[in-house]
Amino acid sequence: MSVLEQLNSGGVYLICGSIVAFIAVVCVIFMVRAWRAGKALGMDTTRMKRAVTASATFSVLPSVGILLGVLALSGSLGVPWPWLRLSVIGALHYETQVAHAAAEQVGISLSSGQMTVQAFPTIALLMSICIMWGMILSTMFNRRYLNRLQQGKTRKTGKGGGFGDKAMAAMFIGMVSAYIGSYVGGFISGNGLFSFKGSWTPLVVVAAAALAMAMFTYFSEKKGKEWLDNFSVAGSMLIGMLAAVLIGQ
Amino acid sequence: MENQKTYEAYLKSTHRLGRIVSVITLILLVGAPFAIGALLGAEPDLGAVARAFLSVGLVWTVSSVVEFLVYTPMLGAGGSYLAFITGNLINMKIPCAMNAKELVNAKSGTAENEVIATLSIATSALVTIVVLALGVVLLIPLQPVLQSPVLAPAFDNVVPALFGAMAYKYYRKDPLLALIPLTVMIVLFTLVPSLTSSTSFMIIPSGALAIALSWFKYRRETKGAVRK
Repeated sequence: MSVLEQLNSGGVYLICGSIVAFIAVVCVIFMVRAWRAGKALGMDTTRMKRAVTASATFSVLPSVGILLGVLALSGSLGVPWPWLRLSVIGALHYETQVAHAAAEQVGISLSSGQMTVQAFPTIALLMSICIMWGMILSTMFNRRYLNRLQQGKTRKTGKGGGFGDKAMAAMFIGMVSAYIGSYVGGFISGNGLFSFKGSWTPLVVVAAAALAMAMFTYFSEKKGKEWLDNFSVAGSMLIGMLAAVLIGQ
Repeated sequence: MENQKTYEAYLKSTHRLGRIVSVITLILLVGAPFAIGALLGAEPDLGAVARAFLSVGLVWTVSSVVEFLVYTPMLGAGGSYLAFITGNLINMKIPCAMNAKELVNAKSGTAENEVIATLSIATSALVTIVVLALGVVLLIPLQPVLQSPVLAPAFDNVVPALFGAMAYKYYRKDPLLALIPLTVMIVLFTLVPSLTSSTSFMIIPSGALAIALSWFKYRRETKGAVRK
């Protein structure tokens, strides 16, 4: 039996599948609790439904992208482990990098099919350990941290709201700017300083998605098609990705 | 008053549940390589794990601390426990929760925001779990489609498509505020192209700059309002 066959065996699927199933149950429990709490607090169920629908449509395309990450890693780590890692805790950009770094440390390469039964548990453990700190910090400090922020806010404004919303929106603007800045910088200097020979596909994709979003917003705000809001991000992403296919790079 | 009590009781039980499931998930995730190793007849080399952690893991530890500090206030209690358990924060969970919050106009730090963020993150995680499970089941028939060279550029550009859509949504709220961090980032990435591999770390200075600018604007506006 080859290494890959062993990594794709029923036993490994069972171990990984059980953990994925556990996390799915946790998600359902949190969801039901939040829904009930929302109702008990007098929140409009239509708005809660809207949040759920929009989040579901929003998540489909990025999830397909994550599935590709599973495919990419399955050639060396088998299917069940990348499936588990990318369903739970993992992140697309993180898993590939750490898997490669971990493989280097045990003296093999992921790309050349050198995986051994002895190397796999070491790589898998390192992948687990490197990214678990967010969960550990959350377990230890989440409550204290949020309480402190809430107290600070109440002291300053006497109620919720205030600068908090603006700070969150600003943080998000900063996040988007970092990514778009990297695409522009990549195009200008990606293949040599000021060579303008880097990839311009991400820029076209950003522009197409932003333009599509502008159209969705126009129809939603000016033409009374508010239902479009639920699908606007997913629709804009699809148009952006379509632009990448048309460019063909 | 009654609502406040209900909300406080909900938060208290959310923290308890969040901590319990986080600890169980940690045990499962760290235990899985040992369980798989036992099945395969090989155990992890702890010395190699320690060495590798020192060379690659410390960077991700710093990143995790920053993620915890930045994203927890955005997501609230339930949302952040779930997000740290289910992962894919930057490329999915954070934009997803911000989008949901925006759609229903929920204010940060309120009970409504707490509920909406938890619903959004839970839904998003479930969608990923279902898509990945279907993908794994249908791996053989789906492989030619997912790995088709024609569709490859589309899947290579999921993140630019996501941030393009979100950029319009957020930049239009305050184009001037957006212009400064965007310009600074473009200049930085142009002059130091190697930073591209550390984009997720560059969120920190970019976000800090945007928050500082937003703070100055907020102070000016609130002072102006007091004078009037």
